[in-house]
Amino acid sequence: MNGENRELDQELDRLLAAYREACEPPEPRPDFMPRLWERIGAAQGWTERLWRWASGLAAAAAAASVLLVALQMVHRPGADFYSTTYVETLLAQTEADLAPVEVAGLPVEDAAPAEHPAR
Amino acid sequence: MLVDNDIVERAQAGDGQAFNQIVQAYRRRIFGTVSRLIGRPEDVEDVAQEVFIRLYYSLDQLRSPEVFEPWLYRLTVNAALDYLRKRRKRKSEARVADLSEQQVMMADAAAGSKIELEEKERARVREFVDSLLSEVSEEDRLLLTLKEVEGLSLKELEKIYRVNENALKVRLFRARQRVLRAYAARRAGEEARKGTSDERRES
Repeated sequence: MNGENRELDQELDRLLAAYREACEPPEPRPDFMPRLWERIGAAQGWTERLWRWASGLAAAAAAASVLLVALQMVHRPGADFYSTTYVETLLAQTEADLAPVEVAGLPVEDAAPAEHPAR
Repeated sequence: MLVDNDIVERAQAGDGQAFNQIVQAYRRRIFGTVSRLIGRPEDVEDVAQEVFIRLYYSLDQLRSPEVFEPWLYRLTVNAALDYLRKRRKRKSEARVADLSEQQVMMADAAAGSKIELEEKERARVREFVDSLLSEVSEEDRLLLTLKEVEGLSLKELEKIYRVNENALKVRLFRARQRVLRAYAARRAGEEARKGTSDERRES
Protein backbone atom coordinates (compact mmCIF):
# COMPACT_ATOMS: atom_id res chain seq x y z
CA MET A 1 0.00 0.00 0.00
CA ASN A 2 1.53 3.33 -1.00
CA GLY A 3 1.56 6.48 1.12
CA GLU A 4 -1.48 8.09 -0.46
CA ASN A 5 -3.55 4.91 -0.09
CA ARG A 6 -2.50 4.50 3.53
CA GLU A 7 -3.50 8.08 4.23
CA LEU A 8 -6.86 7.49 2.55
CA ASP A 9 -7.31 4.29 4.56
CA GLN A 10 -6.64 6.10 7.83
CA GLU A 11 -8.98 8.91 6.84
CA LEU A 12 -11.73 6.38 6.18
CA ASP A 13 -11.12 4.85 9.62
CA ARG A 14 -11.45 8.29 11.24
CA LEU A 15 -14.57 9.01 9.24
CA LEU A 16 -16.19 5.71 10.27
CA ALA A 17 -15.28 6.36 13.91
CA ALA A 18 -16.89 9.81 13.68
CA TYR A 19 -19.92 8.20 12.06
CA ARG A 20 -20.17 5.75 14.97
CA GLU A 21 -20.17 8.69 17.38
CA ALA A 22 -22.65 10.65 15.28
CA CYS A 23 -25.21 7.85 15.03
CA GLU A 24 -27.35 8.21 18.11
CA PRO A 25 -30.15 5.67 17.82
CA PRO A 26 -33.63 7.22 18.02
CA GLU A 27 -35.48 6.62 21.26
CA PRO A 28 -38.29 4.08 21.03
CA ARG A 29 -41.79 5.50 21.40
CA PRO A 30 -43.48 4.85 24.76
CA ASP A 31 -45.99 2.50 23.14
CA PHE A 32 -43.25 0.32 21.65
CA MET A 33 -44.10 -2.79 23.69
CA PRO A 34 -47.91 -2.63 23.31
CA ARG A 35 -47.53 -2.13 19.56
CA LEU A 36 -45.09 -5.02 19.38
CA TRP A 37 -47.52 -7.36 21.15
CA GLU A 38 -50.32 -6.10 18.93
CA ARG A 39 -48.30 -7.00 15.82
CA ILE A 40 -47.36 -10.39 17.29
CA GLY A 41 -51.05 -10.99 18.02
CA ALA A 42 -52.04 -9.99 14.48
CA ALA A 43 -49.41 -12.29 12.97
CA GLN A 44 -50.52 -15.07 15.32
CA GLY A 45 -54.16 -14.60 14.21
CA TRP A 46 -53.12 -14.95 10.59
CA THR A 47 -51.06 -18.06 11.35
CA GLU A 48 -53.95 -19.56 13.27
CA ARG A 49 -56.36 -18.88 10.41
CA LEU A 50 -53.95 -20.53 7.99
CA TRP A 51 -53.54 -23.47 10.37
CA ARG A 52 -57.32 -23.88 10.71
CA TRP A 53 -57.74 -23.69 6.93
CA ALA A 54 -54.98 -26.29 6.39
CA SER A 55 -56.49 -28.56 9.08
CA GLY A 56 -59.92 -28.29 7.45
CA LEU A 57 -58.42 -29.16 4.09
CA ALA A 58 -56.60 -32.17 5.56
CA ALA A 59 -59.82 -33.37 7.26
CA ALA A 60 -61.77 -33.01 4.00
CA ALA A 61 -59.08 -34.98 2.14
CA ALA A 62 -59.18 -37.73 4.78
CA ALA A 63 -63.01 -37.90 4.59
CA ALA A 64 -62.88 -38.13 0.79
CA SER A 65 -60.35 -40.97 1.04
CA VAL A 66 -62.59 -42.88 3.50
CA LEU A 67 -65.58 -42.35 1.17
CA LEU A 68 -63.65 -43.68 -1.83
CA VAL A 69 -62.55 -46.75 0.13
CA ALA A 70 -66.16 -47.35 1.22
CA LEU A 71 -67.36 -47.06 -2.38
CA GLN A 72 -64.72 -49.55 -3.44
CA MET A 73 -65.92 -51.99 -0.78
CA VAL A 74 -69.57 -51.70 -1.90
CA HIS A 75 -68.82 -52.22 -5.59
CA ARG A 76 -66.34 -55.00 -4.98
CA PRO A 77 -65.98 -57.38 -7.96
CA GLY A 78 -66.61 -61.17 -7.55
CA ALA A 79 -64.13 -63.33 -5.70
CA ASP A 80 -63.09 -65.12 -8.92
CA PHE A 81 -61.99 -61.73 -10.31
CA TYR A 82 -58.75 -62.08 -8.37
CA SER A 83 -58.32 -65.87 -8.74
CA THR A 84 -58.38 -66.23 -12.54
CA THR A 85 -55.46 -65.47 -14.80
CA TYR A 86 -55.49 -62.96 -17.58
CA VAL A 87 -55.50 -65.69 -20.24
CA GLU A 88 -58.47 -67.43 -18.62
CA THR A 89 -60.44 -64.19 -18.45
CA LEU A 90 -59.59 -63.45 -22.07
CA LEU A 91 -60.62 -66.95 -23.12
CA ALA A 92 -63.93 -66.67 -21.26
CA GLN A 93 -64.72 -63.38 -22.98
CA THR A 94 -63.84 -64.57 -26.50
CA GLU A 95 -65.29 -68.07 -26.24
CA ALA A 96 -68.13 -67.23 -28.58
CA ASP A 97 -65.67 -66.15 -31.26
CA LEU A 98 -63.84 -69.46 -30.99
CA ALA A 99 -66.96 -71.60 -31.76
CA PRO A 100 -66.53 -73.83 -34.82
CA VAL A 101 -67.44 -72.13 -38.05
CA GLU A 102 -70.11 -73.86 -40.09
CA VAL A 103 -69.77 -73.60 -43.81
CA ALA A 104 -72.42 -75.12 -46.02
CA GLY A 105 -71.25 -78.30 -47.69
CA LEU A 106 -68.25 -78.82 -45.48
CA PRO A 107 -68.13 -81.11 -42.45
CA VAL A 108 -67.85 -79.41 -39.09
CA GLU A 109 -64.31 -79.68 -37.74
CA ASP A 110 -63.66 -80.73 -34.23
CA ALA A 111 -63.02 -77.68 -32.04
CA ALA A 112 -60.30 -79.57 -30.21
CA PRO A 113 -56.84 -78.84 -31.56
CA ALA A 114 -55.46 -81.50 -33.79
CA GLU A 115 -52.50 -83.43 -32.56
CA HIS A 116 -49.25 -82.76 -34.25
CA PRO A 117 -48.48 -85.38 -36.81
CA ALA A 118 -45.52 -87.54 -35.98
CA ARG A 119 -42.38 -86.33 -37.68
CA MET B 1 -24.78 -11.18 27.05
CA LEU B 2 -27.44 -8.74 28.27
CA VAL B 3 -29.80 -11.43 29.62
CA ASP B 4 -29.23 -14.71 31.43
CA ASN B 5 -29.53 -18.01 29.61
CA ASP B 6 -32.49 -19.05 31.74
CA ILE B 7 -34.47 -16.02 30.54
CA VAL B 8 -33.84 -17.08 26.95
CA GLU B 9 -34.88 -20.62 27.84
CA ARG B 10 -38.06 -19.36 29.54
CA ALA B 11 -38.89 -17.24 26.49
CA GLN B 12 -38.32 -20.30 24.31
CA ALA B 13 -40.84 -22.14 26.46
CA GLY B 14 -43.40 -19.41 25.72
CA ASP B 15 -43.03 -17.17 28.78
CA GLY B 16 -44.24 -13.70 27.70
CA GLN B 17 -42.58 -11.95 30.65
CA ALA B 18 -39.21 -13.44 29.74
CA PHE B 19 -39.69 -12.31 26.15
CA ASN B 20 -40.50 -8.80 27.40
CA GLN B 21 -37.26 -8.83 29.40
CA ILE B 22 -35.28 -9.78 26.30
CA VAL B 23 -36.90 -6.98 24.28
CA GLN B 24 -36.20 -4.43 27.03
CA ALA B 25 -32.59 -5.55 27.31
CA TYR B 26 -31.80 -5.56 23.60
CA ARG B 27 -34.11 -2.80 22.36
CA ARG B 28 -31.53 -0.04 22.46
CA ARG B 29 -28.81 -2.13 20.86
CA ILE B 30 -31.13 -3.29 18.08
CA PHE B 31 -32.30 0.28 17.52
CA GLY B 32 -28.68 1.40 17.18
CA THR B 33 -27.74 -1.40 14.79
CA VAL B 34 -30.86 -1.00 12.66
CA SER B 35 -30.40 2.77 12.58
CA ARG B 36 -26.83 2.41 11.29
CA LEU B 37 -27.76 -0.34 8.84
CA ILE B 38 -30.75 1.29 7.18
CA GLY B 39 -29.84 4.96 7.61
CA ARG B 40 -33.44 6.22 7.96
CA PRO B 41 -34.35 7.17 11.54
CA GLU B 42 -38.08 7.33 10.84
CA ASP B 43 -38.17 3.63 9.82
CA VAL B 44 -35.93 2.31 12.60
CA GLU B 45 -38.76 1.48 15.00
CA ASP B 46 -40.70 -0.48 12.38
CA VAL B 47 -37.67 -2.55 11.40
CA ALA B 48 -36.73 -3.10 15.06
CA GLN B 49 -40.26 -4.36 15.74
CA GLU B 50 -39.95 -6.69 12.75
CA VAL B 51 -36.74 -8.07 14.31
CA PHE B 52 -38.51 -8.81 17.60
CA ILE B 53 -41.51 -10.36 15.84
CA ARG B 54 -39.15 -12.67 13.94
CA LEU B 55 -37.41 -13.39 17.23
CA TYR B 56 -40.71 -14.32 18.86
CA TYR B 57 -41.66 -16.73 16.09
CA SER B 58 -38.28 -18.37 15.70
CA LEU B 59 -37.13 -18.66 19.31
CA ASP B 60 -38.01 -22.36 19.28
CA GLN B 61 -35.46 -22.89 16.51
CA LEU B 62 -32.61 -21.60 18.65
CA ARG B 63 -30.50 -24.61 19.57
CA SER B 64 -28.69 -23.16 22.55
CA PRO B 65 -29.03 -19.89 24.53
CA GLU B 66 -25.24 -19.39 24.25
CA VAL B 67 -25.58 -18.46 20.58
CA PHE B 68 -28.50 -16.13 21.22
CA GLU B 69 -26.67 -12.85 20.50
CA PRO B 70 -25.13 -13.72 17.11
CA TRP B 71 -28.45 -15.27 16.20
CA LEU B 72 -30.31 -12.05 17.12
CA TYR B 73 -27.75 -10.10 15.08
CA ARG B 74 -28.46 -12.39 12.15
CA LEU B 75 -32.19 -11.73 12.46
CA THR B 76 -31.43 -7.99 12.60
CA VAL B 77 -29.23 -8.09 9.51
CA ASN B 78 -31.85 -10.10 7.60
CA ALA B 79 -34.65 -7.72 8.59
CA ALA B 80 -32.51 -4.74 7.56
CA LEU B 81 -31.67 -6.42 4.23
CA ASP B 82 -35.36 -7.13 3.56
CA TYR B 83 -36.20 -3.51 4.33
CA LEU B 84 -33.42 -2.27 2.04
CA ARG B 85 -34.57 -4.57 -0.77
CA LYS B 86 -38.09 -3.16 -0.51
CA ARG B 87 -36.69 0.36 -0.46
CA ARG B 88 -34.51 -0.33 -3.50
CA LYS B 89 -37.72 -0.76 -5.51
CA ARG B 90 -38.54 2.83 -4.76
CA LYS B 91 -35.02 3.99 -5.60
CA SER B 92 -36.20 6.07 -8.55
CA GLU B 93 -37.14 8.78 -6.08
CA ALA B 94 -35.08 11.95 -6.20
CA ARG B 95 -31.78 11.92 -4.33
CA VAL B 96 -32.92 14.65 -1.95
CA ALA B 97 -35.71 12.34 -0.85
CA ASP B 98 -33.05 9.99 0.51
CA LEU B 99 -32.45 12.48 3.27
CA SER B 100 -34.94 11.69 5.95
CA GLU B 101 -37.28 14.39 7.19
CA GLN B 102 -35.52 14.23 10.52
CA GLN B 103 -32.13 14.82 8.90
CA VAL B 104 -33.44 17.77 6.93
CA MET B 105 -35.07 19.22 10.02
CA MET B 106 -31.90 18.70 12.02
CA ALA B 107 -29.81 20.37 9.32
CA ASP B 108 -32.22 23.31 9.13
CA ALA B 109 -32.51 23.74 12.84
CA ALA B 110 -28.81 23.54 13.54
CA ALA B 111 -27.29 27.02 13.79
CA GLY B 112 -25.66 29.32 16.32
CA SER B 113 -24.94 27.61 19.62
CA LYS B 114 -22.09 25.17 20.25
CA ILE B 115 -24.43 22.23 20.75
CA GLU B 116 -26.23 23.06 17.57
CA LEU B 117 -22.93 23.37 15.72
CA GLU B 118 -21.86 19.97 17.04
CA GLU B 119 -25.15 18.50 15.98
CA LYS B 120 -24.73 20.09 12.59
CA GLU B 121 -21.30 18.51 12.28
CA ARG B 122 -22.68 15.11 13.35
CA ALA B 123 -25.48 15.41 10.80
CA ARG B 124 -22.93 16.30 8.13
CA VAL B 125 -20.80 13.24 9.00
CA ARG B 126 -23.88 10.99 8.99
CA GLU B 127 -25.04 12.34 5.67
CA PHE B 128 -21.58 12.07 4.12
CA VAL B 129 -20.92 8.49 5.29
CA ASP B 130 -24.46 7.39 4.42
CA SER B 131 -24.08 8.71 0.90
CA LEU B 132 -20.56 7.25 0.61
CA LEU B 133 -21.76 3.82 1.71
CA SER B 134 -24.75 4.06 -0.63
CA GLU B 135 -22.29 3.87 -3.52
CA VAL B 136 -21.45 0.22 -2.75
CA SER B 137 -23.82 -2.75 -2.70
CA GLU B 138 -26.17 -3.29 0.24
CA GLU B 139 -24.24 -6.44 1.20
CA ASP B 140 -20.92 -4.56 1.28
CA ARG B 141 -22.51 -1.74 3.24
CA LEU B 142 -23.99 -4.07 5.86
CA LEU B 143 -20.78 -6.05 6.24
CA LEU B 144 -18.65 -2.91 6.61
CA THR B 145 -21.11 -1.31 9.02
CA LEU B 146 -21.16 -4.42 11.21
CA LYS B 147 -17.38 -4.64 11.24
CA GLU B 148 -16.23 -1.03 11.25
CA VAL B 149 -19.10 0.80 12.91
CA GLU B 150 -20.74 -1.82 15.14
CA GLY B 151 -17.30 -3.14 15.99
CA LEU B 152 -18.14 -6.85 15.65
CA SER B 153 -15.21 -9.24 15.64
CA LEU B 154 -14.48 -11.66 12.80
CA LYS B 155 -15.59 -14.51 15.06
CA GLU B 156 -18.97 -12.85 15.62
CA LEU B 157 -19.32 -12.12 11.91
CA GLU B 158 -18.52 -15.75 11.14
CA LYS B 159 -21.51 -16.83 13.22
CA ILE B 160 -23.78 -14.27 11.57
CA TYR B 161 -22.77 -14.93 7.98
CA ARG B 162 -21.99 -18.65 8.49
CA VAL B 163 -18.85 -18.46 6.39
CA ASN B 164 -15.26 -19.09 7.42
CA GLU B 165 -12.87 -16.38 8.54
CA ASN B 166 -10.81 -16.34 5.34
CA ALA B 167 -13.87 -15.87 3.13
CA LEU B 168 -15.00 -13.06 5.41
CA LYS B 169 -11.61 -11.38 5.27
CA VAL B 170 -11.71 -11.45 1.48
CA ARG B 171 -15.24 -10.01 1.41
CA LEU B 172 -14.31 -7.32 3.90
CA PHE B 173 -11.17 -6.39 2.02
CA ARG B 174 -13.05 -6.08 -1.26
CA ALA B 175 -15.88 -4.10 0.35
CA ARG B 176 -13.38 -1.72 1.93
CA GLN B 177 -11.54 -1.29 -1.36
CA ARG B 178 -14.79 -0.33 -3.09
CA VAL B 179 -15.60 2.22 -0.40
CA LEU B 180 -12.05 3.58 -0.59
CA ARG B 181 -12.36 3.97 -4.36
CA ALA B 182 -15.66 5.81 -3.90
CA TYR B 183 -14.08 8.00 -1.22
CA ALA B 184 -11.04 8.78 -3.39
CA ALA B 185 -13.34 9.70 -6.29
CA ARG B 186 -15.31 12.05 -4.03
CA ARG B 187 -12.19 13.69 -2.71
CA ALA B 188 -10.85 14.14 -6.22
CA GLY B 189 -14.19 15.67 -7.24
CA GLU B 190 -14.16 18.01 -4.26
CA GLU B 191 -10.59 19.09 -4.94
CA ALA B 192 -11.39 19.74 -8.59
CA ARG B 193 -14.42 21.82 -7.55
CA LYS B 194 -12.33 23.73 -5.04
CA GLY B 195 -9.66 24.38 -7.69
CA THR B 196 -12.27 25.72 -10.13
CA SER B 197 -13.80 28.06 -7.56
CA ASP B 198 -10.32 29.30 -6.52
CA GLU B 199 -9.48 30.03 -10.16
CA ARG B 200 -12.74 31.94 -10.56
CA ARG B 201 -12.02 33.97 -7.43
CA GLU B 202 -8.52 34.83 -8.64
CA SER B 203 -9.75 35.90 -12.06
